[in-house]
Amino acid sequence: MRMFVLLLGLLFPLAVAAGEGPAIAKQDWGFDGLHGQYDKATVYRGYQVFTQVCMACHSAKYVSHADLDRAGFTPEEIAALAKSMNLTTTDKLVSGLAPADAQEVYGKVPPDLSVITKARAGLADYTYAVLTGYSDDVEALAHAFPNSEVPAGAYFNTAFAGYAIAMPNPLPNADMVTYTDGTPATVPQMAHDVTVFLQWAAEPELIERKHLGVYVLLFLAIFTLLAYLTKKAIWRDVH
Amino acid sequence: MASLKPKAVEQNITRNPLKWFDDRLPLVSLINNSVGRNFPAPKNLNYMWNFGSLAGIALVIQILTGLFLAMHYKADVALAFDSVQHIMRNVQWGWLIRNLHMVGASFFFIVVYVHMARGLYYGSYKSPREVLWGIGVIIFLIMMATAFMGYVLPWGQMSYWGATVITNLLSVIPFVGDEVVVWIWGGYSVGDPTLTRFYALHFLLPFVIVGIVILHIWALHEHKSNNPTGLDLQDEKDFIPFHPYYTVKDIFGLGVYLIAFALMVFYAPDYLGHTDNYIPANPLVTPAHIVPEWYFLPFYAILRAIPIKELGVVAMFGSILILFVLPWLDSSRVRSARYRPLYRSLYWVFLLNFLVLGWVGSKPPEGIYVLIARFATAYYFLFFALLPVVARVEKTRKLPKTIDEA
Repeated sequence: MRMFVLLLGLLFPLAVAAGEGPAIAKQDWGFDGLHGQYDKATVYRGYQVFTQVCMACHSAKYVSHADLDRAGFTPEEIAALAKSMNLTTTDKLVSGLAPADAQEVYGKVPPDLSVITKARAGLADYTYAVLTGYSDDVEALAHAFPNSEVPAGAYFNTAFAGYAIAMPNPLPNADMVTYTDGTPATVPQMAHDVTVFLQWAAEPELIERKHLGVYVLLFLAIFTLLAYLTKKAIWRDVH
Repeated sequence: MASLKPKAVEQNITRNPLKWFDDRLPLVSLINNSVGRNFPAPKNLNYMWNFGSLAGIALVIQILTGLFLAMHYKADVALAFDSVQHIMRNVQWGWLIRNLHMVGASFFFIVVYVHMARGLYYGSYKSPREVLWGIGVIIFLIMMATAFMGYVLPWGQMSYWGATVITNLLSVIPFVGDEVVVWIWGGYSVGDPTLTRFYALHFLLPFVIVGIVILHIWALHEHKSNNPTGLDLQDEKDFIPFHPYYTVKDIFGLGVYLIAFALMVFYAPDYLGHTDNYIPANPLVTPAHIVPEWYFLPFYAILRAIPIKELGVVAMFGSILILFVLPWLDSSRVRSARYRPLYRSLYWVFLLNFLVLGWVGSKPPEGIYVLIARFATAYYFLFFALLPVVARVEKTRKLPKTIDEA
């Protein structure tokens, strides 16, 4: 009986898929953990980076401004943001770059980013690692490519499998955007903010999920305790 | 022949409506005889015996959540991936229903694996419960087919490539293999016809499972539950009525189960899944490693452990089909591993070995992993091959006379 329980515990780590490619550093995210949240100010800064930088090439075709209400935006804010992009609140965030043009310029159609943080091993950490993984460190380059040359049409990235990514560095220097809340727009800051935005885009339900989970678990804990006491009472005459 | 003498039939519907109804259609009696006061169960069952009813509940959860998903899902290669996102984002409670279904599939397998491991340990497959066990193996097989087809429906990269790899295995069937594969696909590759038929079957098979589960319970009632001692119980004082004793014990077990389930559903719904399945299916891009869902990994490891494809497929299916003949392979007259020291050791190695197979199944088939997979596969079959010998040479412990003595 005890051995069964032990083996059951062993089952779970099994599921962890084999890691591959460069090691991805873990970051502290506000949306992690039992009380995970999306900080509205961070989501908004990330929204600025996404719409002003990423959306030049990438879409988030499952996401519209109206969805921002799940990150705590008011209807007025949502309407104003959509209007400033000449979109309705229910228009999806689709890039102006046509896939065919992208194919011609970059040799690859940029992937839709709606669920990108769920679609790569390393999850949000991976997105952040790629955004901050561009490097002109000569030694690192020589380590990755023996002749120090990145394949044509690709860029050196320490976090990308194979170290050669088709996407040019989207955040090459600070102040790619001007944050309205006065936060200095450093590269790590922008990468962090847009990763939070993309995590929100991928899992807008996360706040509701984690919030509801607490109540479900509380209910189940009481239910199970009462069931246990009932069981003990009913079984008293057998034991 | 049953007596045709009329029973004392309640004639007044207002005096005792329940009895009145039961005298006309004995539904209440049926429930009472199946899981109620009239079903005697051994009084010494431990918590490993909770997993049978848990499996039933897991099945019901899958059917209910699946029904609501089916109301919003679109089985069309152009729409399937989008419709899953639609469920996650726009459908009221859609994310919850999908998480329950997704995590529920994994938990269903955990429960069934424990249920089977319990049967294996306490010799529940032995006479007179061979048919009960065999029906269980059939349920397991249909469950695997159902889960496999369900994983194809979101139409992500692993859906597509998993379906391609697994259906391709049937090409090893002599003479007609390639034709069979094309017939199953409904075309020359996995595509829209494959998706729509998998959807239809994924909806149908759970109800087939329900039907077979009824047979499983029927067979259980013929000889009642086995028990940790494995003794044949004759004495009335060894039994207690299923209700309220085991109903309340199962409800407590259910509570514990639901806590673990809720933790995954609300805090790690994608933990047991694969990130590649959030990339829409693309026939032109093959993922670096195609891996099935975790619950198939031990069998996937057996498949890949054998260098000849045909033999690998035979070994993979054989590793499950061999369970059908287990009652005849193991001819020991002692049921419970408690009194079988040799079998008991081999059993724990077998279980550990099964986990090793699962682990190695998640690794790329290269280097040391191939070697580990081969040894683990060899032991998997060796265990069954040894059973007739074990039964002959094993010195079993002295069996207690009664369960009170145990």
